[in-house]
Amino acid sequence: MKFKDYYQILGVNPDTESKDIKMAYRRLARKYHPDMNPDKGAEEKFKEVAEAYEVLKDPARRAEYDELRQYGGRAGAGFEPPPGWQSTSGAGARTDSFSEQEFSDFFNSLFGQRGHEFRSSQTEGDFGFRGRDLELEMPIFLEDTLTDESKQVTYHIPVYENGQVRQVKKSLNVKIPKGVMDGERIRVKGQGAAGQGSGANGDLYLHIRLVPHPLFDVQGHNLLITVPLTPWEAALGAKVTIPTLKGKINLTIAPNAQSGQKLRIKGKGLPSKTGTGDLYAILKVVMPPTVNDDAKKLWTKLSETADFDPRAEWSNA
Amino acid sequence: MMTEILLKISVRELCQVEKITEQFVIEAVESGIAAPVEGKEVADWVFDTTSVHWLKKAIRLHQDLEIDWIAVAMVIDLLRQKESLQREKQIIQQQLERFLQQTQSS
Repeated sequence: MKFKDYYQILGVNPDTESKDIKMAYRRLARKYHPDMNPDKGAEEKFKEVAEAYEVLKDPARRAEYDELRQYGGRAGAGFEPPPGWQSTSGAGARTDSFSEQEFSDFFNSLFGQRGHEFRSSQTEGDFGFRGRDLELEMPIFLEDTLTDESKQVTYHIPVYENGQVRQVKKSLNVKIPKGVMDGERIRVKGQGAAGQGSGANGDLYLHIRLVPHPLFDVQGHNLLITVPLTPWEAALGAKVTIPTLKGKINLTIAPNAQSGQKLRIKGKGLPSKTGTGDLYAILKVVMPPTVNDDAKKLWTKLSETADFDPRAEWSNA
Repeated sequence: MMTEILLKISVRELCQVEKITEQFVIEAVESGIAAPVEGKEVADWVFDTTSVHWLKKAIRLHQDLEIDWIAVAMVIDLLRQKESLQREKQIIQQQLERFLQQTQSS
């Protein structure tokens, strides 16, 4: 076991006053808190900082720690608590915040494993504690939101054995409810980490992420599809076949269509609790990549007869 | 075997699994961190699972950063806005790409 220099971790001197320790902790906590900092490694760093603060904020624990530090602790050096070492300050209560879980072996060897305390009522004689909740990103295809779809979820559960954490692979079949939306979260009861003692299992939370579709974009319960048109289709109107999530449909384009124009096709969107969304066809006029001599003649004729200046507004500038 | 999935949670169960008091939940609701989707009386409150996600975040921030509920509510509000703006940006970017993409000649 390595000795941990809690002062070094918080970036303070051993003679720092407790209010400055608090300040140092807050500064680092804000920087590394996993809810604020998505970087990999931030969580580890935060736990370290929280552990240091847990010891140094409490005068009794700090005094005990200082004593051990005197006894010969150096950061990174091998460390064993002195024979017969017994903490009188204890490890305090355990909660679910990031700062108060899974402290290092070093901490545990000094202050013992942490107990557990329900912030609400606690039944006497109940010594277990609830397993951790796990959160998982769950990629879902757009097509899978149309019906109740069964999906297999494979993930890792931390299992505590003899003070060691081991990751165990687990597979589940989960029914993804129809009409589920991007960003929604689904709770799978009791499928998180196992509880200890008489404690219940934690839950598994699935964070639904829609996989980008090759054709459709999603806006709430509406779907968007970009429909490419030739210039003559846009000018003269056309009937085009467009795909929907459930088969193809014919769409009538009125003459004089514009790029960016949106046409609503009712009821061809995604299902929701409040009814089905719509499909929006967004028109996009596309030029042919090459122009042959015949076409060139026709374009020339058009340019001579058409009375159209798309830059008319500029002439006043 | 199919597992039980839930999209809602009662205030009673929420307090139980998160090890918080009803008072905690009331404070969180009062500061706008979460809003019940059902129930008039506190005892009948029901939350959706997404609210639970934000409540959990709020509780952690409240405890770990030692900040008061008003500040927590502000942080949560901003984090939520950030998440929704990120999603919106992603959608708009994808739409724009489709619109600017050259169609392959057939």
